Amino acid sequence: MIWTPFLHAACLTLCAPPLQDAPGAEPQEPEAPKAQPAAAPPADLRLHAERVYTGTGEILKNALIEVREGKISSLRPGRSAPEGVPQVKAITAGMIDLSARLHSNFNSVEQSTEVQPHLDVAGSVNLYDKRFARLARTGVTTILVNPLDRNVIGGRGVALKTHGPMEVEARRLKARPILRGAIGSEPSAANHAAFGRPTDFYSRRPTTRMGVEWEWRKAFFDAVAAKRLPEMDFPGAEDLREALAGKRTVMIQAWTTQDIRTAVYLDEEMQREGFGDLDLVIDAGAEAWKEPAMLVRNSTIVVLPPHTAGGRIGSDGAFLAWNTANQLVEQGLTVCLSAHGAGPGPATLGHQAGFAMRGGLSFDQALAAVTTAPAAVLGLSDRLGTVAEGMDADLALWNGRPFAATSRVTGVVIDGTVVVNPR
Amino acid sequence: MIQQSTSLLQRIAKTHLALTLGLLGCSFLLSAQAEAGEKYAVRAGTVHTLAGDAITNGVIVIEGGRITAVGSADDVKIPWDAEVLDVPHLEAYPGFVEAHTSSGMDRPNESVAVAPFLNVRDSIDPVAFYFEDCLRSGVTTINVQQGNACIIGAVGMVVKPRGMTVEEMLVRPRSGLKISAAPKSGMSRATQAQTLRATFTGLRTHLEDLVQQKRSGNDYSRREALYQGRDLSGERGKGRAMMSKGWTVEGLELVPRGEVDEKQEPLLDLVEGRIPAWIYCGAPMDVRLALEIARDNGFLGRTVLVLDDSCWKAADLIAEAGVSVVLDSTLVRTETDPKTEEEEEVFIPGVFKDKGIPFALSSRNSSTESLWFQAAMCMAHGFTRAEALAAITATPASMLGLEGKVGCLCPGAAGNVLLTSGDPLSVTSFVEYVVIDGNLVYDRSTDIRTQHLLEGVVPEGTESHAEEPEVEEDTRKKAGDEGGSR
Repeated sequence: MIWTPFLHAACLTLCAPPLQDAPGAEPQEPEAPKAQPAAAPPADLRLHAERVYTGTGEILKNALIEVREGKISSLRPGRSAPEGVPQVKAITAGMIDLSARLHSNFNSVEQSTEVQPHLDVAGSVNLYDKRFARLARTGVTTILVNPLDRNVIGGRGVALKTHGPMEVEARRLKARPILRGAIGSEPSAANHAAFGRPTDFYSRRPTTRMGVEWEWRKAFFDAVAAKRLPEMDFPGAEDLREALAGKRTVMIQAWTTQDIRTAVYLDEEMQREGFGDLDLVIDAGAEAWKEPAMLVRNSTIVVLPPHTAGGRIGSDGAFLAWNTANQLVEQGLTVCLSAHGAGPGPATLGHQAGFAMRGGLSFDQALAAVTTAPAAVLGLSDRLGTVAEGMDADLALWNGRPFAATSRVTGVVIDGTVVVNPR
Repeated sequence: MIQQSTSLLQRIAKTHLALTLGLLGCSFLLSAQAEAGEKYAVRAGTVHTLAGDAITNGVIVIEGGRITAVGSADDVKIPWDAEVLDVPHLEAYPGFVEAHTSSGMDRPNESVAVAPFLNVRDSIDPVAFYFEDCLRSGVTTINVQQGNACIIGAVGMVVKPRGMTVEEMLVRPRSGLKISAAPKSGMSRATQAQTLRATFTGLRTHLEDLVQQKRSGNDYSRREALYQGRDLSGERGKGRAMMSKGWTVEGLELVPRGEVDEKQEPLLDLVEGRIPAWIYCGAPMDVRLALEIARDNGFLGRTVLVLDDSCWKAADLIAEAGVSVVLDSTLVRTETDPKTEEEEEVFIPGVFKDKGIPFALSSRNSSTESLWFQAAMCMAHGFTRAEALAAITATPASMLGLEGKVGCLCPGAAGNVLLTSGDPLSVTSFVEYVVIDGNLVYDRSTDIRTQHLLEGVVPEGTESHAEEPEVEEDTRKKAGDEGGSR
């Protein structure tokens, strides 16, 4: 019940006991000068779980996890818990939320022009924001922070652990670069038509969905044109060309089916024109269930918004059916889930996985949608998303079956540091 | 028996509900419907009575709306003429009990700050979406009370989410008077407290005046009662000494009860312990005032506190007073240390459990606030299954004076049965059928709203264009049938 923040890993570290099951661990003569057996240094942290859901489809029973220097150094099933080692019911990899929405306010995006692909949101991330710790407490260990969707193209997102050094650059993960933008009513929401004399710059910004779509197309066309005509070059043109070359993931917020359509058509138009092929991720794609064929055709990845009681969500009034995740996965699409941050209310990312299971998703698929799938989007599958030797020691510790309404995350480890003590 | 109940209901509909039931002494009403006389039986894979061990391959027999037998299929004989719901793949649970809500009313609050003479029965909307949603979430007994924005609010009633009129929905009339210890908007705490105290002083003055009038041979109150057309026959025409654990008015036996001002009468019922009080506390500081009012006026023993989530801080005071509480749907509250700004999460039901305070959960029926979900959250925070289920069945039932009548599957209880696809506290389980008073009132396979939410099925009649008219016709016919069976 009581959260002990920033509890140092040392609290849980045994005072270097001999590993009971280490091979060749025999009593040594104190003065024996002969070479010690090549035993690994004592673990920084050891944890025992009745079940470890590795994320590779495997469930390890009674597994002992050892952590050294922030990485999982060993993972051995069929062990009893050594004395003093924290024991939990279940362990999964720490969860990843690609739509954490931790922007501080409207200043989290530069609005002087509507296309700002070169700006990095890292400059406006506040690591002192309590929501990082709140997310960490719910078992979310990695998040993608994106610019606020008040611009058409808001800029670059930044992937961060929810706990770590209090400096963005030190905490930033070397993830695949993300270019973030939006389609729908939000990018034009604060803008207005100019009647008579324009009074401010919002009157020249797009005021409709078609204006927003035009800005997207113009940005890519201009970026391509600028390659031939250097005098046309503009800040961010290189980012857009990288996106066209598939070196940068383009993550577009599109709640409704008409906006999802616009995003996919934009990508297809770029392909048709020979400009390139966007690596497209639809964020908040609530209505992806309405026209999944389009997404299948374009192999689009979908990040779903949180499930709501009535189904409606977002400023565009999109309808998220609870079987959406299952329906998309059945059609071979990659789906990630999101709780849209650490907002009020108990619906955490773990609960979202449960709700997706209520909509028919299997446990393994639900686990993938909050761990391995988002890790792959970030290009960090070699570090995050699974529980295996060599992976980052980002772990969610559960007091029962993960994602069940009757269990919850009771402990959290990030980079080998116990952020929430399970005891 | 059934005939009697029906005629009773008709009488209630015709005469003044409050007056009639004052005489009945709030007896548990079996609001029988025409079909409740029929026999109904459920045969389920497992029957969880919540009043003993689970019964594998169990049978529940309901006659006249009430459960007459529960047991193993080997032991309990299903009457030959009973309609049988045979669902060996499902689990049976008693319907959940909502201890306090202001949903289902036309508007939850009245602008008159002190209005004990009002009754929520005039505001309950039987076709409110809320009641339909209750069935999906497995809630079959609901205590509807006025909203929290009052000083003294209306008299509430217990209903079931079934019926096209309030009378059909009735489970128990006059389930208590709503009081708020938190300031109504526009009032200060001091004014709220003073008005609360003054209201009871006002009742006392009124009663003393009546006694004084009788003693001085003044017949004004009788003439006023007759002028207003109040019933002064039978018990209403007789005086009775005041029975209160708080203060008393000597000589009240001189005053026929029918002569007590109608606007004051629910307050007198409260002070004399005939109806309970549901006192809302919006902050820990309100708890003290709530307890003071209840204690001073002798109804502490019949008080339930309806708490804002911040009120866990007053748990010691509540435990000392020995009252029960209804929690709001925020189960985990984040408190921030003002100095260090460190956050601490408090699991509120855990605080009350540890202090031994009986508590009920309450819901708004959203995905994360439904009773089942909240009970599941209690388990996630270390409650046993029995403790978690009690907070949505037995405990609220006992707060409503309906222990053994709702919230369990036992002989004598209302025939309210949920049939779930699995553990009702699991996210992957669904309420498949709901039986209320021995009538099948909900079948998920015909619930278009759930299908829309869960499967993205577009509700019939809202498609932008019809492609296969023949198929549509079939669906319409089916929907029509289902409408009839409700």
